[in-house]
Formats: sequence, C-alpha cells, structure tokens
Amino acid sequence: MAAAALRVQLEALLENMFATGMVDEQFRQLQLLQEEGGSASGFVAEVATLFIDDADRIIADIGSLLDQPVVDFDKVDAHVHQLKGSSSSVGAQKVKLACMHFRQFYEAKSKEGCLMALALVRSEFCDVRNKFQTMMQLEQQIEACSPK
Amino acid sequence: MDRRRIRVLLVEDEEIHRVLARAVLRAAGVEADEAENGAEAVRRVRERVGGGGAYDLILTDKQMPVMDGHEATRQIRAMGVTTPIVAVSSDSLPSDVQAFTAAGADDFTPKPLTKEKVGHILSKFGLA
Repeated sequence: MAAAALRVQLEALLENMFATGMVDEQFRQLQLLQEEGGSASGFVAEVATLFIDDADRIIADIGSLLDQPVVDFDKVDAHVHQLKGSSSSVGAQKVKLACMHFRQFYEAKSKEGCLMALALVRSEFCDVRNKFQTMMQLEQQIEACSPK
Repeated sequence: MDRRRIRVLLVEDEEIHRVLARAVLRAAGVEADEAENGAEAVRRVRERVGGGGAYDLILTDKQMPVMDGHEATRQIRAMGVTTPIVAVSSDSLPSDVQAFTAAGADDFTPKPLTKEKVGHILSKFGLA
C-alpha cells in the first residue's frame, strides 16, 4: 500500500482514538514532543511500548493478588496507583479512569468489587493496546515505503 | 549571550516517567542527571556538594524502592542543601502535598510532567 494511503489510515485511527476518549490531551503532548524534533522519531512508540509492557505486568500482578484467599489490599492499591501513573503518562484516558474507579473497591476491601474493577481495567487496556499496536505497525509500514 | 546550563536532577524509578520527563526537559532546553531512587539521589547531591557545583533543581517522585521521595528530600535538606526541590507525583491529595512540604520540598506538581509545568517550575525558581 502506498505511503499516502497508509497515512490516511493512521490519521483515521488517531482521530478515532481521540474522538472515543481512548486517549486524551497527554497523548497529543507526546505527539507534539516528537513532531517538534526534541525527541527521537519513535518517541511516541517508545512510550506506548513501555506502557503496554508495564500495564501487562501490573494487571497480571493484580490478578494474582486477587486470587489469594486473603487479599493484600495495600498491594492492590500500590499496583493500581502505578498503572494509573503509567496510563496518565501515555494519555490512555480510559485506562486511567478505570484505575480511578478501582480505588473505591480496594478502599472498601471488597474483593468482588476489585475483580469487577479489574475486568474493566483489563478491557480498557486491551482496547488501547490493540490501537497502539496498530498505530505502530502503520508507522513502521509508512517508514518502510518512504524514500530513504 | 549564552544561557547558563541548568543542572537538574530527576529522581524517578519508573522508566516510562523517566523517558517522558527526559523528553519534556530536553524540549525546555534542560539536560538532567537521573537517579532511580531516593538513596541514589542523596548520593548524587552529596557528591555535588563535595565539588562540581550544586544542582539548580531537583524533581522527585514519591513512591520509589530503597528510599522514597519524602526521605530523600529530608536527607538532602539535612545536608544544608537549599536547591529547589519539586515533588512530581500521581498522589496529589492535599495531604500528599503537605507531606512533601513538611519534608522540605518547595513545590508540588502532579504527574504527568508537561512542557507547561516544566516552564512554570523553571520560571518560578528563576531558571528560565
């Protein structure tokens, strides 16, 4: 596919991510930092990849904690807090909001509530991860068919 | 006229936040030394006190392994260091801000760090 068509596809994807509230102004800040040349060309992809790796690990860790017969809610709190920070840095707004929603359940020490909240976090994360991965694939394809 | 080089110490354990802060600081024309926990920050500041010139600004996270941002701030102040210390944390309840202030921090800004926030901090402490 020609680079121009791929760019159109990428633009549509990004527009959709903003329009649906999946990403927020912070993600635009990352794009601006990259466009202004102060950062490497793969800066947005680097931050998105770090987020995906962090979130994958943290969600698995929270799942393990909630699998225990006696849940350590302080540890759940620390992990959710960490995920909120990572999602906030990349601008993954829906994941960040799901983390904020989580708080009421670990503060109430409700295992059932935490499991429901984790399911929402996981679902929002899977959605944004898929979009980020598609975005990075399109960027790589555009790069590959651009004149050297 | 050449602008004096601003020396910033960034104290942050999580790579995603370090990568972002590095980019934001670079966009503001500032290069930063980095420490991955409070103990490393205290060591770096102590080395600077011993020679090489003090940092102009310290940006520190709260929750870190080995030593957290509160304790690092307390230990840096105990050395007599007056460098502005700005807490950068996701915990932004009034009690969180108060705890950092009590430890000796001069200011607090919530994560994520942005160009605007860095610009404001540099201006506030006469580093812009």
